[in-house]
Amino acid sequence: MSFINSWWLIPLIITIFSGILCPAMGTVLITHRRLLQVNLISHCVLPGLALALALGIHPSIGGVISGLLGSIIAESLTNKKSENYEAVMNTMLAGMLGFGVLLIPLLGIRIDLEAVLFGDLLTANLSDLLRTIIAFLTFILLITFGYEKVVYVGLDPEGASASGINVSLLNLALSFTTALVIVSSMSAVGVILVIALLSTPTLLGLDKAQSLRIAMMRSSFFGLCISLLGFILSIVFNLSPGPAISVICVASLIIPKIGNKF
Amino acid sequence: MATLIADNLTYSYSKNSKPALNKVSVEITPGTLTALVGPNGAGKSTLLKLLQGINNPDIGNITIDGQSLARNRSQVALMPQRSSMNWKFPITVEKLISLGQIKYSKSKSANPFQIKALLANPKSWVNKCCELEATMQRVGISNLANRRLDSLSGGQQQRALLAKTLMSPARILLLDEPCAALDPPAKDDFLKTVRQLADAGLSLFISSHDWGSTLNNYDQVVVLDKTVLASGTPSSIQGKLDDLNISSLKENNYCD
Repeated sequence: MSFINSWWLIPLIITIFSGILCPAMGTVLITHRRLLQVNLISHCVLPGLALALALGIHPSIGGVISGLLGSIIAESLTNKKSENYEAVMNTMLAGMLGFGVLLIPLLGIRIDLEAVLFGDLLTANLSDLLRTIIAFLTFILLITFGYEKVVYVGLDPEGASASGINVSLLNLALSFTTALVIVSSMSAVGVILVIALLSTPTLLGLDKAQSLRIAMMRSSFFGLCISLLGFILSIVFNLSPGPAISVICVASLIIPKIGNKF
Repeated sequence: MATLIADNLTYSYSKNSKPALNKVSVEITPGTLTALVGPNGAGKSTLLKLLQGINNPDIGNITIDGQSLARNRSQVALMPQRSSMNWKFPITVEKLISLGQIKYSKSKSANPFQIKALLANPKSWVNKCCELEATMQRVGISNLANRRLDSLSGGQQQRALLAKTLMSPARILLLDEPCAALDPPAKDDFLKTVRQLADAGLSLFISSHDWGSTLNNYDQVVVLDKTVLASGTPSSIQGKLDDLNISSLKENNYCD
């Protein structure tokens, strides 16, 4: 049973799940032009984490709720033509992160801020794994029962609305799943560096894909490779996995470009 | 054959704002190609959305063959502006066009099932009169079926949108600025295609910034600037141009 008790087993399983899940979710969000919202949600989870800890609730629940709330508030503050969309989103994300940092001493709680923001994969436990699996299953449910709506709304939001699809409800479901995915990735790459895992493999997977499903599968494959490589390098060279995965993400974009020039 | 009559339509986006449309009346008769021209902000897109039933007028009513629009919504299809679509979305031309078969439904369960079937097999819902290949051939894009949307030129994208609109059972087609940003040859080709559709009995109501000789391609012209300033044949409208206070329209004459 020494295999089961190996310290690296849970971190490895989380790496695999996050490596598949984040890029698949990122593919949906990038094709829906909602990547800025991911950034917002990732910065909005901190106040929820702090409040949940102070109230004795599981921090993940607080994180998901505050991420979702931040997203809804920001959406409601943008005007109908979304002319101020980016400005509102960026103001909101900075404000919510600042609010979270302020809450920690005010509530007198202890949070390893570095681990939340940048991940601490190698110390992940069963609770972290469970959180990742819940997020994974939620995403699978969304795609199984809502794939067609996700495609139509991403392609033609007005047309989808005109044919009777509740676009607002779908966007809310996407925001909820995004918040879950971000909170679940806390241990792997942290809520800030998760952006890299959500976007980089997607850029590689989207290229010439003939359907959203194919793009998601390709992105997940690239994400899995990047995550596993980051995990192995972290163990071999005693690095922090979150930043290592983020740097590999950047390298995976740059190296092919350099290779093409030679 | 279906005749659409919009009578005295007034519409505001909010209670305190000025009307985007004021007492607008138009008639779209079968087999005609009608241009809806007007400057930016004239209310062209707003009118098209009312005629499709996406928005409801504050005052006035819309009928198709004497019956209310609400009961005949499937008779009208709107081709949106090219800019409203996400052309980078990973989907093939064939699947985009097949989505045009989805009928409006308030039922929560009907549409997703239909969309699911269409995405799995684009030909699954086609019937004899709206066959997918025939529609693509009709608008001249049969060779593009498996291409991704972002690999298409602007003119090809407009044709793909037109094909999607044609997949619906509608007899009245509302086209929102289909010629915007098209080069002159692509625009001429597009106008030839819509002329063929009108000759086949469809009614086409096309919003446009065009002014000048391009209007001669149409049977009827409606000049709109919040309200209908003039309507009639192209030659009669151009004769009235100097009397109309639509200088901004003349300045926007970039398509000609």
